[in-house]
Amino acid sequence: MGLEYVRISPGFEKYMPKDYVDLVQYGQFGKEIDVQQLGQFKELVEEHPMCAGCFMAYFVRVFYASLPKPEDTIVIGTAGCARLALSQAAVPFIYGNYGDTNAVASGLKRALSIRFPDKEKDVVVIAGDGGLIDIGFGMTMHSWFRREKFTTIMVDNEVYGNTGGQESGMSPRGVQLKMAPKGKQFDKINAVELAKVAGCVYVAKLAPTNPKRIAKTVRRAILAARHFGPTFIHAYTSCNIEYSIPTEKVLEDARKREKQDFGFYEWMTDEVKEFFEELERKPEEVKA
Amino acid sequence: MYYVADVKESDCAKYNCKQCVLFCPEPNTLMYHDSKHVAWVNYSRCKGCAICVYVCSDLLKRNCIEMVMVTTGD
Repeated sequence: MGLEYVRISPGFEKYMPKDYVDLVQYGQFGKEIDVQQLGQFKELVEEHPMCAGCFMAYFVRVFYASLPKPEDTIVIGTAGCARLALSQAAVPFIYGNYGDTNAVASGLKRALSIRFPDKEKDVVVIAGDGGLIDIGFGMTMHSWFRREKFTTIMVDNEVYGNTGGQESGMSPRGVQLKMAPKGKQFDKINAVELAKVAGCVYVAKLAPTNPKRIAKTVRRAILAARHFGPTFIHAYTSCNIEYSIPTEKVLEDARKREKQDFGFYEWMTDEVKEFFEELERKPEEVKA
Repeated sequence: MYYVADVKESDCAKYNCKQCVLFCPEPNTLMYHDSKHVAWVNYSRCKGCAICVYVCSDLLKRNCIEMVMVTTGD
Protein backbone atom coordinates (compact mmCIF):
# COMPACT_ATOMS: atom_id res chain seq x y z
CA MET A 1 0.00 0.00 0.00
CA GLY A 2 1.43 3.32 -1.07
CA LEU A 3 4.10 4.21 -3.61
CA GLU A 4 7.02 3.30 -1.33
CA TYR A 5 5.91 -0.34 -1.41
CA VAL A 6 5.77 -0.40 -5.21
CA ARG A 7 9.23 1.02 -5.99
CA ILE A 8 12.20 -1.30 -6.34
CA SER A 9 15.03 -0.81 -3.83
CA PRO A 10 18.13 0.66 -5.54
CA GLY A 11 20.46 -2.04 -6.86
CA PHE A 12 17.75 -4.69 -7.12
CA GLU A 13 16.40 -3.71 -10.56
CA LYS A 14 18.37 -6.40 -12.42
CA TYR A 15 17.08 -9.16 -10.14
CA MET A 16 13.41 -8.28 -10.49
CA PRO A 17 11.20 -9.90 -13.17
CA LYS A 18 11.05 -7.90 -16.41
CA ASP A 19 7.30 -7.42 -16.12
CA TYR A 20 7.65 -5.86 -12.67
CA VAL A 21 10.42 -3.47 -13.76
CA ASP A 22 8.27 -2.44 -16.75
CA LEU A 23 5.32 -1.91 -14.43
CA VAL A 24 7.25 0.47 -12.18
CA GLN A 25 8.89 2.35 -15.08
CA TYR A 26 6.06 2.48 -17.62
CA GLY A 27 3.06 1.62 -15.46
CA GLN A 28 0.29 3.59 -13.81
CA PHE A 29 1.76 3.97 -10.34
CA GLY A 30 1.95 7.59 -9.25
CA LYS A 31 0.81 8.94 -12.63
CA GLU A 32 -2.42 10.39 -13.95
CA ILE A 33 -3.31 7.99 -16.75
CA ASP A 34 -6.16 8.58 -19.15
CA VAL A 35 -7.96 5.49 -20.38
CA GLN A 36 -7.42 6.68 -23.98
CA GLN A 37 -3.72 5.92 -23.45
CA LEU A 38 -4.40 2.18 -23.23
CA GLY A 39 -1.84 0.26 -25.26
CA GLN A 40 0.83 2.89 -24.62
CA PHE A 41 1.72 2.01 -21.02
CA LYS A 42 2.27 -1.17 -19.02
CA GLU A 43 -1.09 -2.19 -17.63
CA LEU A 44 -1.64 -3.29 -14.06
CA VAL A 45 -3.39 -6.50 -15.04
CA GLU A 46 -1.29 -9.28 -16.54
CA GLU A 47 -2.02 -12.31 -18.68
CA HIS A 48 -4.98 -14.19 -17.23
CA PRO A 49 -6.83 -17.44 -17.95
CA MET A 50 -10.20 -15.92 -18.93
CA CYS A 51 -11.81 -17.10 -22.18
CA ALA A 52 -10.94 -15.54 -25.54
CA GLY A 53 -13.15 -12.56 -26.29
CA CYS A 54 -14.59 -12.36 -22.76
CA PHE A 55 -16.09 -8.95 -22.18
CA MET A 56 -15.78 -9.35 -18.44
CA ALA A 57 -12.02 -9.51 -19.00
CA TYR A 58 -12.36 -6.33 -21.07
CA PHE A 59 -14.27 -4.59 -18.30
CA VAL A 60 -11.63 -5.64 -15.76
CA ARG A 61 -8.90 -4.29 -18.06
CA VAL A 62 -10.58 -0.89 -18.40
CA PHE A 63 -11.40 -0.88 -14.68
CA TYR A 64 -7.72 -1.22 -13.75
CA ALA A 65 -6.74 1.47 -16.25
CA SER A 66 -9.20 3.89 -14.67
CA LEU A 67 -8.29 3.50 -10.99
CA PRO A 68 -7.60 6.97 -9.57
CA LYS A 69 -4.90 5.70 -7.17
CA PRO A 70 -3.90 2.08 -7.89
CA GLU A 71 -1.18 2.09 -5.23
CA ASP A 72 -3.75 2.87 -2.53
CA THR A 73 -6.48 0.51 -3.68
CA ILE A 74 -7.51 -2.95 -2.51
CA VAL A 75 -9.75 -5.08 -4.71
CA ILE A 76 -12.01 -7.75 -3.27
CA GLY A 77 -13.49 -10.50 -5.35
CA THR A 78 -15.08 -13.86 -4.89
CA ALA A 79 -15.74 -17.11 -6.71
CA GLY A 80 -16.78 -16.40 -10.27
CA CYS A 81 -15.10 -15.54 -13.53
CA ALA A 82 -13.86 -12.03 -12.68
CA ARG A 83 -11.50 -13.22 -9.98
CA LEU A 84 -9.39 -15.03 -12.61
CA ALA A 85 -8.25 -11.67 -13.99
CA LEU A 86 -8.53 -9.64 -10.78
CA SER A 87 -6.00 -11.88 -9.05
CA GLN A 88 -3.45 -11.35 -11.86
CA ALA A 89 -3.09 -7.61 -11.30
CA ALA A 90 -0.51 -5.55 -9.43
CA VAL A 91 -3.14 -4.34 -6.98
CA PRO A 92 -3.70 -6.16 -3.66
CA PHE A 93 -6.53 -8.65 -4.10
CA ILE A 94 -8.53 -10.39 -1.39
CA TYR A 95 -10.56 -13.48 -2.19
CA GLY A 96 -13.70 -13.40 -0.06
CA ASN A 97 -15.75 -16.51 0.53
CA TYR A 98 -18.70 -16.80 -1.84
CA GLY A 99 -21.19 -14.17 -0.82
CA ASP A 100 -19.29 -12.35 1.90
CA THR A 101 -17.30 -9.88 -0.22
CA ASN A 102 -19.16 -6.84 1.07
CA ALA A 103 -18.81 -7.95 4.70
CA VAL A 104 -15.04 -8.38 4.21
CA ALA A 105 -14.87 -4.99 2.47
CA SER A 106 -16.76 -3.31 5.35
CA GLY A 107 -14.25 -4.55 7.91
CA LEU A 108 -11.30 -3.76 5.68
CA LYS A 109 -12.43 -0.20 4.95
CA ARG A 110 -13.00 0.48 8.65
CA ALA A 111 -9.60 -0.99 9.57
CA LEU A 112 -7.86 1.08 6.87
CA SER A 113 -9.49 4.29 8.09
CA ILE A 114 -8.21 3.58 11.62
CA ARG A 115 -4.72 2.53 10.51
CA PHE A 116 -4.28 5.35 7.94
CA PRO A 117 -6.51 8.18 9.21
CA ASP A 118 -4.69 10.82 7.11
CA LYS A 119 -4.61 8.87 3.81
CA GLU A 120 -7.25 7.94 1.29
CA LYS A 121 -7.47 4.19 0.77
CA ASP A 122 -9.98 2.85 -1.72
CA VAL A 123 -11.72 -0.48 -1.37
CA VAL A 124 -13.48 -1.89 -4.42
CA VAL A 125 -15.57 -5.05 -4.58
CA ILE A 126 -15.89 -6.65 -8.00
CA ALA A 127 -18.05 -9.76 -8.07
CA GLY A 128 -20.54 -11.35 -10.37
CA ASP A 129 -24.31 -11.48 -10.27
CA GLY A 130 -24.16 -14.69 -8.23
CA GLY A 131 -21.72 -13.32 -5.66
CA LEU A 132 -23.56 -10.06 -5.07
CA ILE A 133 -27.25 -10.41 -5.83
CA ASP A 134 -27.94 -14.16 -5.40
CA ILE A 135 -25.75 -15.77 -2.78
CA GLY A 136 -24.25 -12.61 -1.31
CA PHE A 137 -27.54 -10.69 -1.35
CA GLY A 138 -27.85 -10.29 2.43
CA MET A 139 -24.31 -9.04 2.97
CA THR A 140 -24.43 -6.75 -0.06
CA MET A 141 -27.68 -5.14 1.11
CA HIS A 142 -26.54 -4.78 4.71
CA SER A 143 -23.28 -3.13 3.72
CA TRP A 144 -25.41 -0.56 1.86
CA PHE A 145 -27.84 -0.17 4.78
CA ARG A 146 -24.85 0.53 7.05
CA ARG A 147 -23.56 3.10 4.53
CA GLU A 148 -20.09 1.60 4.33
CA LYS A 149 -17.80 3.79 2.25
CA PHE A 150 -16.65 1.53 -0.55
CA THR A 151 -17.49 0.77 -4.18
CA THR A 152 -19.38 -2.32 -5.29
CA ILE A 153 -19.17 -3.28 -8.96
CA MET A 154 -21.35 -6.05 -10.29
CA VAL A 155 -20.03 -7.65 -13.48
CA ASP A 156 -23.28 -9.18 -14.65
CA ASN A 157 -22.92 -12.08 -17.10
CA GLU A 158 -26.49 -13.25 -16.41
CA VAL A 159 -25.47 -16.86 -15.71
CA TYR A 160 -23.31 -19.04 -13.46
CA GLY A 161 -20.60 -19.38 -16.09
CA ASN A 162 -18.06 -21.35 -14.03
CA THR A 163 -20.32 -24.23 -13.05
CA GLY A 164 -22.00 -25.11 -16.31
CA GLY A 165 -24.68 -22.52 -16.95
CA GLN A 166 -27.27 -22.41 -14.15
CA GLU A 167 -29.72 -19.50 -14.21
CA SER A 168 -29.07 -16.65 -11.82
CA GLY A 169 -31.38 -14.01 -10.42
CA MET A 170 -30.00 -11.66 -13.07
CA SER A 171 -30.74 -13.89 -16.09
CA PRO A 172 -33.45 -12.33 -18.26
CA ARG A 173 -36.93 -13.88 -18.20
CA GLY A 174 -37.43 -16.77 -20.60
CA VAL A 175 -33.77 -17.40 -21.37
CA GLN A 176 -32.85 -21.05 -21.89
CA LEU A 177 -29.54 -22.16 -20.44
CA LYS A 178 -27.71 -25.48 -20.26
CA MET A 179 -28.82 -26.08 -16.66
CA ALA A 180 -32.14 -24.26 -17.00
CA PRO A 181 -33.76 -26.12 -19.91
CA LYS A 182 -37.32 -24.92 -19.21
CA GLY A 183 -36.30 -21.30 -19.53
CA LYS A 184 -36.19 -18.82 -16.70
CA GLN A 185 -39.61 -18.25 -15.16
CA PHE A 186 -38.96 -14.95 -13.35
CA ASP A 187 -37.86 -11.45 -14.25
CA LYS A 188 -34.35 -10.09 -14.01
CA ILE A 189 -33.76 -8.47 -10.63
CA ASN A 190 -33.61 -4.68 -10.78
CA ALA A 191 -30.33 -4.27 -8.94
CA VAL A 192 -29.98 -0.56 -9.69
CA GLU A 193 -33.27 0.36 -7.99
CA LEU A 194 -32.42 -1.91 -5.04
CA ALA A 195 -29.13 -0.05 -4.60
CA LYS A 196 -30.88 3.31 -4.67
CA VAL A 197 -33.42 2.23 -2.05
CA ALA A 198 -30.74 0.61 0.12
CA GLY A 199 -28.82 3.87 0.47
CA CYS A 200 -26.15 4.00 -2.23
CA VAL A 201 -25.11 7.57 -3.00
CA TYR A 202 -23.98 6.87 -6.56
CA VAL A 203 -25.53 4.26 -8.83
CA ALA A 204 -24.72 3.54 -12.47
CA LYS A 205 -25.63 0.97 -15.06
CA LEU A 206 -23.70 0.47 -18.28
CA ALA A 207 -22.72 -1.84 -21.09
CA PRO A 208 -18.98 -1.74 -21.87
CA THR A 209 -19.17 -0.13 -25.30
CA ASN A 210 -17.32 3.08 -24.53
CA PRO A 211 -14.04 2.88 -22.56
CA LYS A 212 -14.05 6.58 -21.75
CA ARG A 213 -17.48 6.33 -20.16
CA ILE A 214 -16.51 3.22 -18.17
CA ALA A 215 -13.45 5.05 -16.84
CA LYS A 216 -15.46 8.13 -15.90
CA THR A 217 -18.09 6.03 -14.12
CA VAL A 218 -15.52 3.96 -12.21
CA ARG A 219 -13.61 7.07 -11.12
CA ARG A 220 -16.80 8.79 -10.01
CA ALA A 221 -17.94 5.72 -8.07
CA ILE A 222 -14.59 5.47 -6.26
CA LEU A 223 -14.34 9.19 -5.48
CA ALA A 224 -17.94 9.32 -4.22
CA ALA A 225 -17.28 6.28 -2.02
CA ARG A 226 -14.25 8.01 -0.46
CA HIS A 227 -16.30 10.90 0.86
CA PHE A 228 -19.99 10.03 1.02
CA GLY A 229 -21.05 6.41 1.22
CA PRO A 230 -21.65 3.20 -0.71
CA THR A 231 -21.61 3.33 -4.51
CA PHE A 232 -22.72 0.73 -7.02
CA ILE A 233 -22.04 0.02 -10.69
CA HIS A 234 -24.02 -2.56 -12.63
CA ALA A 235 -22.06 -3.55 -15.74
CA TYR A 236 -23.24 -5.89 -18.47
CA THR A 237 -20.39 -8.26 -19.27
CA SER A 238 -21.75 -11.00 -21.52
CA CYS A 239 -20.75 -14.65 -21.19
CA ASN A 240 -19.89 -15.62 -24.77
CA ILE A 241 -19.58 -19.30 -23.82
CA GLU A 242 -22.92 -19.88 -22.04
CA TYR A 243 -24.86 -17.53 -24.30
CA SER A 244 -23.13 -18.91 -27.43
CA ILE A 245 -21.99 -15.55 -28.78
CA PRO A 246 -19.19 -15.91 -31.39
CA THR A 247 -16.16 -14.06 -30.00
CA GLU A 248 -16.03 -11.53 -32.83
CA LYS A 249 -19.69 -10.61 -32.17
CA VAL A 250 -19.22 -9.87 -28.46
CA LEU A 251 -18.97 -6.11 -28.94
CA GLU A 252 -21.91 -6.19 -31.35
CA ASP A 253 -23.95 -7.99 -28.69
CA ALA A 254 -22.98 -5.41 -26.06
CA ARG A 255 -24.05 -2.61 -28.42
CA LYS A 256 -27.36 -4.38 -29.06
CA ARG A 257 -28.05 -4.86 -25.35
CA GLU A 258 -27.12 -1.24 -24.71
CA LYS A 259 -29.96 -0.21 -27.03
CA GLN A 260 -32.40 -2.68 -25.42
CA ASP A 261 -32.08 -2.70 -21.63
CA PHE A 262 -28.55 -1.66 -20.69
CA GLY A 263 -28.59 1.97 -21.75
CA PHE A 264 -26.26 4.16 -19.74
CA TYR A 265 -27.92 5.24 -16.52
CA GLU A 266 -26.38 7.30 -13.75
CA TRP A 267 -27.97 8.49 -10.54
CA MET A 268 -26.45 10.29 -7.57
CA THR A 269 -27.58 12.19 -4.52
CA ASP A 270 -27.60 15.97 -4.58
CA GLU A 271 -24.52 16.33 -2.39
CA VAL A 272 -22.54 13.98 -4.65
CA LYS A 273 -23.70 15.92 -7.70
CA GLU A 274 -22.51 19.15 -6.07
CA PHE A 275 -19.17 17.49 -5.25
CA PHE A 276 -18.58 16.41 -8.85
CA GLU A 277 -19.65 19.77 -10.24
CA GLU A 278 -17.07 21.38 -7.98
CA LEU A 279 -14.39 18.78 -8.80
CA GLU A 280 -14.88 18.83 -12.56
CA ARG A 281 -15.14 22.62 -12.77
CA LYS A 282 -11.80 23.26 -11.07
CA PRO A 283 -9.33 22.86 -14.00
CA GLU A 284 -11.25 25.42 -16.10
CA GLU A 285 -11.20 27.96 -13.29
CA VAL A 286 -7.46 27.51 -12.84
CA LYS A 287 -6.92 28.20 -16.57
CA ALA A 288 -9.06 31.32 -16.47
CA MET B 1 -0.47 -23.38 -34.50
CA TYR B 2 -2.15 -20.33 -33.08
CA TYR B 3 -4.85 -18.12 -34.53
CA VAL B 4 -3.84 -14.51 -33.88
CA ALA B 5 -4.61 -11.02 -35.08
CA ASP B 6 -2.14 -9.33 -37.40
CA VAL B 7 -2.07 -5.60 -38.19
CA LYS B 8 -1.32 -4.53 -41.76
CA GLU B 9 1.12 -1.80 -40.84
CA SER B 10 1.06 0.22 -44.05
CA ASP B 11 -2.75 0.38 -44.05
CA CYS B 12 -2.99 1.13 -40.34
CA ALA B 13 -0.47 3.98 -40.52
CA LYS B 14 -2.85 5.95 -42.77
CA TYR B 15 -5.27 6.47 -39.90
CA ASN B 16 -4.38 8.02 -36.60
CA CYS B 17 -6.89 5.87 -34.74
CA LYS B 18 -6.46 3.34 -31.96
CA GLN B 19 -9.98 2.07 -31.53
CA CYS B 20 -8.93 -1.60 -31.79
CA VAL B 21 -6.48 -1.11 -28.91
CA LEU B 22 -9.24 0.36 -26.76
CA PHE B 23 -11.53 -2.65 -27.31
CA CYS B 24 -9.09 -5.56 -26.91
CA PRO B 25 -10.07 -7.64 -23.85
CA GLU B 26 -6.50 -8.80 -23.23
CA PRO B 27 -4.08 -6.54 -21.34
CA ASN B 28 -0.72 -5.60 -22.93
CA THR B 29 -1.59 -7.49 -26.12
CA LEU B 30 -2.77 -5.13 -28.83
CA MET B 31 -0.39 -2.21 -28.34
CA TYR B 32 0.01 1.18 -29.99
CA HIS B 33 3.34 2.42 -31.33
CA ASP B 34 3.75 6.06 -30.28
CA SER B 35 6.02 7.30 -33.08
CA LYS B 36 4.88 5.08 -35.99
CA HIS B 37 1.19 5.62 -35.10
CA VAL B 38 0.29 1.99 -35.77
CA ALA B 39 -1.19 -0.77 -33.67
CA TRP B 40 0.88 -3.92 -33.21
CA VAL B 41 0.11 -7.34 -31.74
CA ASN B 42 2.03 -9.25 -29.12
CA TYR B 43 1.42 -12.65 -30.77
CA SER B 44 2.28 -14.76 -27.72
CA ARG B 45 -0.52 -13.09 -25.74
CA CYS B 46 -3.25 -12.89 -28.41
CA LYS B 47 -6.11 -15.34 -27.85
CA GLY B 48 -7.60 -14.84 -31.31
CA CYS B 49 -11.04 -13.51 -30.39
CA ALA B 50 -11.15 -11.14 -33.43
CA ILE B 51 -12.96 -8.32 -31.62
CA CYS B 52 -10.29 -5.99 -33.11
CA VAL B 53 -11.24 -7.23 -36.60
CA TYR B 54 -14.90 -6.40 -35.86
CA VAL B 55 -13.92 -2.91 -34.70
CA CYS B 56 -11.59 -2.23 -37.64
CA SER B 57 -13.56 -3.87 -40.47
CA ASP B 58 -17.23 -3.83 -39.45
CA LEU B 59 -17.46 -0.63 -37.42
CA LEU B 60 -14.82 1.58 -39.02
CA LYS B 61 -14.61 -0.07 -42.51
CA ARG B 62 -10.84 0.27 -42.55
CA ASN B 63 -9.85 -3.41 -42.92
CA CYS B 64 -6.38 -3.08 -41.40
CA ILE B 65 -6.43 -6.22 -39.21
CA GLU B 66 -6.68 -9.83 -40.34
CA MET B 67 -6.54 -13.14 -38.51
CA VAL B 68 -3.55 -15.34 -39.35
CA MET B 69 -2.17 -18.71 -38.30
CA VAL B 70 1.26 -18.67 -36.70
CA THR B 71 3.37 -21.56 -35.45
CA THR B 72 5.13 -21.56 -32.10
CA GLY B 73 8.27 -19.48 -32.19
CA ASP B 74 7.03 -17.02 -34.83
